[in-house]
Order: sequence, then structure tokens, then C-alpha cells
Amino acid sequence: MIGTAIDTGILTNVAYFASFAIVYSVLAIGFNLQWGYTGLFNAGIGGFFLIGAYTAAIITTPYDPPTVLGGVVIVPGHWGGLSLPFVVGAILAMVFSGLAAALIAIPTLRLRADYLAIATLAFAEIIRRVTINFDTFTGGTNGITRIPRLASFEPPDPFASGMVLLGVGAVVLLAVFLFMNFTVESPWGRILRAIREDEVATMALGKNTLLSKIQSFALGGAIMGLAGALFIETKPYLDPQDFSPALATFPIWVMVIVGGAANNRGVIVGAFLIYGMEYVSVLLKDYVPSNTIYYVRLMIIGALLIILIIYRPQGLLPERRRVLK
Amino acid sequence: MADPSATESSVVTGRRALRWRPFHLTAALRKRILRGLIVVVAFVAFVGGLTAAFGINILQYTLYGFRTSAIVIVAAIGLTLIYGIRGFANFAYGDLMTLGAYVALFVNVNAQLSIVWGAITSFFVLVLVGILLEILIFSRLEGRGPVAPIVASVGVGLIIQNGIYVVAEAQPRLFLVSLGQEVTIVPGLGFSWLRDGLTLAVGFSFMLFIHALLTYTNLGKAMRATADNLELAKATGIDTKRVTYATWALSCGFASTAGVLLGLISDVQPLRGVTSLLLIFAAVIVGGIGSAYGAMLGGLVVGLSQEMVVPLLVWLGRPEVLGIPHADAYNVAVPFLILILVLLFRPSGIAGRQTAIVPRGVVTGAIARARAARRTRLAASGAGRRGG
Repeated sequence: MIGTAIDTGILTNVAYFASFAIVYSVLAIGFNLQWGYTGLFNAGIGGFFLIGAYTAAIITTPYDPPTVLGGVVIVPGHWGGLSLPFVVGAILAMVFSGLAAALIAIPTLRLRADYLAIATLAFAEIIRRVTINFDTFTGGTNGITRIPRLASFEPPDPFASGMVLLGVGAVVLLAVFLFMNFTVESPWGRILRAIREDEVATMALGKNTLLSKIQSFALGGAIMGLAGALFIETKPYLDPQDFSPALATFPIWVMVIVGGAANNRGVIVGAFLIYGMEYVSVLLKDYVPSNTIYYVRLMIIGALLIILIIYRPQGLLPERRRVLK
Repeated sequence: MADPSATESSVVTGRRALRWRPFHLTAALRKRILRGLIVVVAFVAFVGGLTAAFGINILQYTLYGFRTSAIVIVAAIGLTLIYGIRGFANFAYGDLMTLGAYVALFVNVNAQLSIVWGAITSFFVLVLVGILLEILIFSRLEGRGPVAPIVASVGVGLIIQNGIYVVAEAQPRLFLVSLGQEVTIVPGLGFSWLRDGLTLAVGFSFMLFIHALLTYTNLGKAMRATADNLELAKATGIDTKRVTYATWALSCGFASTAGVLLGLISDVQPLRGVTSLLLIFAAVIVGGIGSAYGAMLGGLVVGLSQEMVVPLLVWLGRPEVLGIPHADAYNVAVPFLILILVLLFRPSGIAGRQTAIVPRGVVTGAIARARAARRTRLAASGAGRRGG
């Protein structure tokens, strides 16, 4: 009896770990489309992730009015409360994130890569600050709670909920993975790779490179929005701090660089490896002060970024070489 | 201003005299000074009008704006120099500023020395850090495009920022300085010698220093040449390696001073630098990447607009107007808006030269086509006149 309890406990832990790793894998696949295949360096992954998560949360949660005590707002509540099903939330999350990506892409994509990086970094930071400050809309630092789970059990069963979450996550990841592999092998994907290698030559072949770049950036943003929708099901509540660059942008870069840019299988491996590091740091919490381990983990991510970009920019699983036969 | 004898005498005495005359006014320079004067007069009239309409606190926000601008200018000059020479955006710059502030804090608080010594020590420590960064990391990424060094610089930033968290704890700290009494010029307009006076003085002297360096020294000229065209600079015998090290040293030294100033007007904490990074990037891009003078102009535009928009936002935040909660927190979005507008309409910045980027956007493309058509028309009519 005790044995099975421990077993399901460990399995539940692993299921939740894998669900987070799946969320980051989806994020990394979105970034891989933008950077790995098209060469558009996005420094605002957290921003698109945040838009997806908050869109999905506002659409799926029940109405949450502000708590007022003696004329003073104690808890701001949040806007929305439409109580719509998760699928609607996920689709709208993709739509809004994709639109945001297209809007930010239009002024910056015709410029050099570093302008895009700065503009997207600024965009993500401003979106995050608006989320924190516009608390009647988003709940501010209180975040959004009471997010409906994918499946509810009576009495509450963490093991079954974890398995449902893992199952849905795995299906979504598989769907995104297959869709992306199909997309990048299509003629459109070929244009993206051509843009990455030589944009002027692609233009000379009569391709509308700007349009393809905007499409690629928007599709990548939409996938990040989908990751945001999955994320709210994984977390007990939504907190704007989860979308800071150090937690939602820079680790994704490491995942893609470790796994191998322009290789979706490698990117998923990278996401599980890097998120696995987080899992290990949680396990180590009992032995080391938790704040220190958190900061040391981010320092390791920084060191990995430097070492990998200098010595192994192609990653563990490099891009498949395509040779003309 | 337009002194005709100055130009004539320089022609008579030859090139030597021309080179050593610091205030030689060419026609182009006169035009620029006139334009600058017009902008200054318009700005004074604008602020004066606002003050007359909304009260004295507009002047207070203008003073805050100049104070912020001074810090942003010092930081933006450092960032733009290395951007121009090495061709990448240093995302670790905000964290280098924080590091500078913490080194000064260590000297100031733990070693009980004056903040001046703290700032000087911090300057030289950061100079060493800058040279080490180039030797250990960024020299290995030469010729790899702009993205690889950006990724590496983010790594450097993460290491510095979290290293500070581990070593120095997260809570905000203050420099050991006596802030002095705030002088009330008019009721509602206060002036602090330390926070306003010192910041403005340091900002101004750094601007003069960089102007003198870039104009009158061989190092400055070599820096400008290297930023302009690396291959050509190498071919003319400039030791570009040395220039790169010198630029890293200057850039990081400026970061340290900006960090100390930022710590003086607020407090020292691990995220202080990185949160102002976007402001500095905005100043650099608005001014035109690689141009120190552009950074000064961009810093002024960005700093003033960020602070002077606060009263407007406070007004918008009132329940009877728009009722946005915490409206004044959105002032950080203003530099970003300016950045986007500049990227849309003049990607090379205010002071930068037009690059070979062809505008192909929906809006900008139409404008560019109209301007090109007008230019062709003018050229054609000019040629026609000359022909006739």
C-alpha cells in the first residue's frame, strides 16, 4: 500500500516535470522556426509566451470581481471570466500572440538582426510591466488564480490530473512537432532557409522575403502563445514574474543552442535537458539555500550560452545537411 | 556667430591654423548651430508654456529629465562606441553598470572611503573587466555576425547579475554620502546639489571629454576610422586590435560611472542596471548606432521624454479621465515608442548616416518611393535647367 503511494507520488512528480518540459519544448520549437530556420533572432520570447498565457487564462477562468474592503481595493481581480473551454483559450492565445508577433515584425524585420533583438526585448519588457501595473485587467502581481484544470476529479487525485496533463501536453507537442517538420520541408520552409542563408539571393529569385519573414515570425509567435496556454494548465496560478527574460527567454535560447538550431528533434532534447537542470536544482533544495541554487542555475545558463556559442554553435544534434543530388 | 574674418584668416594662414582652431565655423557647422538654437528656443518655449499652464512642477519634471538624460548619455556613449567598433549590441551593458555601482559601493561602504574614490576604483576595475571580456570571449566571436556576440553578452550579463545576487544579497543598498539639503528655488521646484548638480556636471564633463578624445587625439581618430570601415582602417596602418581594447576599456569605464550615478540618484540593487538597459538602447538607436554625438542627442530625447511624460500620465490616470491604474508606471514605454517610430521612419537614427537598407514596409515603402520620385524629378528639372 505504502509502496504504491510512493510510486504514484514519484510518477506524479515526473509527470509535472515532463509537462513543464513540454511547455518549454513547444516554446523552443516556436523560437527554432524564427531563428533556426529563418534567422530572425527573437529576444522577446517571454512577451509572446505571456500574451498566450494571459489570453488563455482570461478566457477560461470564471469571473473574478475585485475584492473591495471599506472602499479600498484589496485584490484587484481580473478582467474577463468567460469560462470558455480550454480549446477556445488555446486558439485565441495563438491568434493574439501571432498578431503581436506580426505587429512587432513589420517595423523591425527589414532591418539588421540586432534591431529585431532590441525591439523584441523592449516589447517583452513593456508587456510584462503593463501586465504587472494594469491590475484591474490582469490581476497584477496577485496573478490569476482558479484556473480550471483540464480534468477535475472528485475527490482530487493529483496522479490522475498529472497524467491527463501529461497526455494532453504530449499530444500537443507531437502535433506541433509533426506540423513544424511538415512545414519546414514544404516549399515555404525552403524559402525560409534560403532567407537565412542569403536574403538578397532569395529576393533575386523573385520571392517576397519580407512577407515570408513576417509569416515565419508570426507563426513562431503563435506557437509560443500555444505554449502559454499549456503553461497555465501546468501552473497552480499565473504570476507575471514567470515571464521575465531570465526565466522565459534566455533559457529557451540555451535549449535551442544545446539541442541544435534548425533541428526540431534536437530542440526537444535540449528543452528536456535544460529543464532537467531545473528539476535537479529543485531536488537539491534541501541541501543548499534555495535562493543560491536559483541564482547559480541562472549563472550556469549564462556560462552555457557563452561556451556553446563559442565552441559548439551547431548543438548536440546539428541540422541535417541538404546536398543537391 | 558668423564671423567672416575667421574663415578668411584661416584661408590665408593655411591648413595648420585651420586644424588648431577649435571653434572654426564652417558653413555646415553654422547651419547646424542655427538648427540647434531653434530646437533649444522651441524647447524652452514649450516648457515655459506648459509651466504657465500647469504650474511649477513641470519644471521639476524637466529637471528630472535632464538628470536622467545625463546618466543615459554617459551610458549610451559607452554602449554606442563598442557597438560601432565591434558591430554588436552589448546586452550585458546594464549588468556592467550594476557591477560598477557594486564595486563603488564596496569601496565606499566596506573600505569606508569617499564615494569619489569608489567611483574612480570602479572605473578602473571595469576597464580591466572590459579588456578581459574582449580577450576571453568576444575576440573569439569576430566575424560571426551580430547574433553570436549578443548571445554571449546575455550570458555575461546573467553571470554578473546572479553573481551579484549570490555575493551581495538582493536588498537595495545606499551609498554612504550625505545627501545635503535640497535647495528650494521656487516652492515646488527643489534642487539637490548631489543628485542633480553632480549628475549634470559629470554628464557634461564626460561629453566634453569624449568630444575632445574623438576630435583631437590620435586614439579618437583611430576609433572613428575603425568604426567607419575596419578593413580600410587596417590598411592605413591603424592597430585595430589596440583600438578595440581601448574602446572596450572606455565603454566599460563609462558603464561604471553611469552605474554609480544611477545608484546615487536612487539606490544600488542587482536589477538597477538591467532595467535601464532598454532606455540606453533606445538612446543609442535614436541617435544612430556608433555615433557618440548621436548618443548625446538620443539620450537627451529619451531621458527628457521619459520624465516629462509623467505628469501627462498622472493626469490620464485620474478616474475622471481614463482611470488607468498606476498610469505613471508606463513612462518606461515612451522611449520604446520613440524607438519604434525611429525604426519605422529613420532606421539610421537622427544623427546617423543613411545606410543601404531599402525601406520595403507598407508605410515606409510608400514614403521612400515618394521621396525618391521627388528627388529624381528635382534632379531631372535641375539637369534640364542646366542643359537649357
